[in-house]
Amino acid sequence: MAASISGYTFSSVCYHSANSNSDHEGFLLGEVRQEETVSISDTQISTAELLQVVEIHNHDPCAQLFSFYDYAGKVSEENLNSILKDRRKNVIGWYRFRRNTQQQMSFREQIIHKQLTQLLGVPDLVFLLFSFISTANSSTHALEYVLFRPNRSRYNQRITLTIPNLGNTSQQEYKVSSVPNTSLNYAKVIKEHGAEFFDKDGVMKDIRTIFQVYSALQDKVQAVCAEVEQSERVKEKIQEDVNKLKQQIALRKRKTEEEERKLCEAQNADSHSTPEENTEPSEASLLSRITFHTPSAPERSRIMFHTPSAPERPSTSPNPPSYADLLTQDDSLPSSSSSPPTSAALLPRPQAVGSPGHPTPGPLGMGLGLGLSLGLSASSNPVTTPSTPYLGNGDGSSSDSLDRQAAGQEDDDDDDDDDEDEDSSEYENLVSEATHLPMVTASVLAQGRPAALSPDGDARGSQTT
Amino acid sequence: MSPEVALHRISPELRPLLCSVVRNGRVGLDSTNCLRVTDLKTGCTSLTPGPCCDRFKLHIPYAGETLKWDIIFNARYPELPPDFIFGEDAEFLPEPSELPHLVQWDAGNPECLLQLVKELIQQYHHYQCQRLRESSRLLFEYDSLLEDPDYGHNMEIYAGRKNSWTGEFSARFLLKLPVDFSNIPVYLLKDTALDPGEDVALLSVSFEDAEATQVFPKLYLSPSIEHALGGSSALHIPAFPSGGCLIDYVPQVCQLLTNKVQYVIQGYHKRREYIAAFLSHFGMGVVEYDAEGFTKLTLLLMWKDFCFLVHVDLPLYFPRDQPTLTFQSVYHFTNSGQLYSQVQKSYPYSPRWDGNEMAKRAKNPFK
Repeated sequence: MAASISGYTFSSVCYHSANSNSDHEGFLLGEVRQEETVSISDTQISTAELLQVVEIHNHDPCAQLFSFYDYAGKVSEENLNSILKDRRKNVIGWYRFRRNTQQQMSFREQIIHKQLTQLLGVPDLVFLLFSFISTANSSTHALEYVLFRPNRSRYNQRITLTIPNLGNTSQQEYKVSSVPNTSLNYAKVIKEHGAEFFDKDGVMKDIRTIFQVYSALQDKVQAVCAEVEQSERVKEKIQEDVNKLKQQIALRKRKTEEEERKLCEAQNADSHSTPEENTEPSEASLLSRITFHTPSAPERSRIMFHTPSAPERPSTSPNPPSYADLLTQDDSLPSSSSSPPTSAALLPRPQAVGSPGHPTPGPLGMGLGLGLSLGLSASSNPVTTPSTPYLGNGDGSSSDSLDRQAAGQEDDDDDDDDDEDEDSSEYENLVSEATHLPMVTASVLAQGRPAALSPDGDARGSQTT
Repeated sequence: MSPEVALHRISPELRPLLCSVVRNGRVGLDSTNCLRVTDLKTGCTSLTPGPCCDRFKLHIPYAGETLKWDIIFNARYPELPPDFIFGEDAEFLPEPSELPHLVQWDAGNPECLLQLVKELIQQYHHYQCQRLRESSRLLFEYDSLLEDPDYGHNMEIYAGRKNSWTGEFSARFLLKLPVDFSNIPVYLLKDTALDPGEDVALLSVSFEDAEATQVFPKLYLSPSIEHALGGSSALHIPAFPSGGCLIDYVPQVCQLLTNKVQYVIQGYHKRREYIAAFLSHFGMGVVEYDAEGFTKLTLLLMWKDFCFLVHVDLPLYFPRDQPTLTFQSVYHFTNSGQLYSQVQKSYPYSPRWDGNEMAKRAKNPFK
């Protein structure tokens, strides 16, 4: 149990007591409330603590001793009522002031307390005892006060009485007490000037505006959540596509190698020299062009790309443009060299990259390569806008086109003639590519090589931020 | 604090009340000492002039303990009854209806406070007896004593609070022994310097535990009685028998004391008889004798022209103890300048002889 008394009530009681020339007594008015503290911690289940708080708001001094009891200590209810009048229901205790006596309840006080508890119907009636001690030469006077709750067990009777804001309030918080304000003047002033601060419901206006801001922010957050969810789904989808494409690439690569091997053997037999050196880089460049980077935040780039083990294969860029972006940019950005218009629907066949003669794949391939490079370079320019609408269809169609390409590849493989043609055309392409697009390849290569990634990566990184 | 100082400092309106307490106040069995007043304080503001003390501590002897009760008046309202703080007995709460002098407090009656204190003591006694109920053994002791009319109404009981170390319960019984001291010869009681007060013998029996295994009895006699009986070493009471009870022990002690007193009285008479007999036998030879206590007798005798003095000292427990005869020569001096004397203790003597017989037989050793 805790008890508190407001500073002004305490000083008022002291004033009345100290000015009386004999013992002094009166009643304490206030309220008792229960405080429940629930503490939750990781280590234990939540515990609830119940605390009874006694608050003394006011006091009612008695004009003289024996005003409501007689010599035998019997309390007279009529006298009690005439003293308290309508304040009777607020009584939570009574007090007594005695000079130069012990801090112990006296015989008569105990008798009266028992009767008051019954009459007033307050089970935990408190008794505040003031005792004033003076030294013999009147140099030092001490006012001691003890709050008792005599209705409890003998060993638990004293309660500490706190006086809020008694002390150094510059270091502590100034506590506002919960004493109800019954002043008429106060009520009048508040009523006059209250409209400036409060709206018609009695709620402060500022609170309402703040709440509106809060609601708006909440709505925006909700919208962004939806967008985030959608983009995440798109990203998932693209990731799947990329994986598929990778598989196809791997497959294709194996086939290419086989064919080359065969070709080599054939050529060796013919004692033909082939520019094998060129194939490597062009192949690398092919492959580099093929690998698509999907748009991502840095996390995405981390998640998705493990480029195949070929050394020439470019590693992921931190902010590669989206596939859709890539395609749109192909349209929008001026290319260093010929930037053919690309159709979003089709991806060029890998072997057709670099071949100027090849109508569809060529320009596309060129475009792709360029686009890629451009895209890659574009990624270094802070132009990519994240808010472009996602082209789901584009994704689907791109994968379709790749599939078609793969299928085409398969067909080519199956078909010897085609294969031969393709092979030859492939080499032509490669050669032409090597000659015609030194810049591109170089640039692609430059960009593709992992070593070169870091400056670009940085650029991209900066772009992402 | 002496009573006079207390009376001087107390507020004038309250002075009569305190006066009767301090001067005449005797409560309880042990009434050799008056009630004592200490810690006189005031309830008025410190600027109030003059004697204005109205609250003090009253020391009351009870059952071997001293109760220190605070009594609180209000000097500005002297007609109001006082309030009490019962010191360490925080649980003692008498019923106001049992205190008629409180309910009908009359500040004009100087005895009112004293009477109120007596009533409070009575209530306190009841309270202590109630506390005895914690130990059935002691309660039995109490009840058995209560039934006896000799002891039942002259009993004070202090049921001590449990010893916090051992949790033991202790009690003390203070009983007034109904021994009649009125026949003790006056002279025996005269030697005390102070006002002897009432002659009383109190038996205090302390029970250190509830099972009555450690019992310490003690006998308190008023100073004159103690002197009359030959000092504190003369009277030894028997130890409390283990397993015994008060209702058996107390009469035993009482009897012992009564016997002692009787013996003393008898001794007095016997001595008187002895001296009378000697007087009649040695009439002219008596120099002097103790006419009050009959303890000494001096004779001047002549045997074949040899004069000598005989001093007869009669002990307290005559006739059990033999009188001492001291022969003193009137002629000769010792080296140290004293009259030569010889003490004779071993002479035929029997306590059963009466005075006359002793006088007759005494002649022989004189020769």
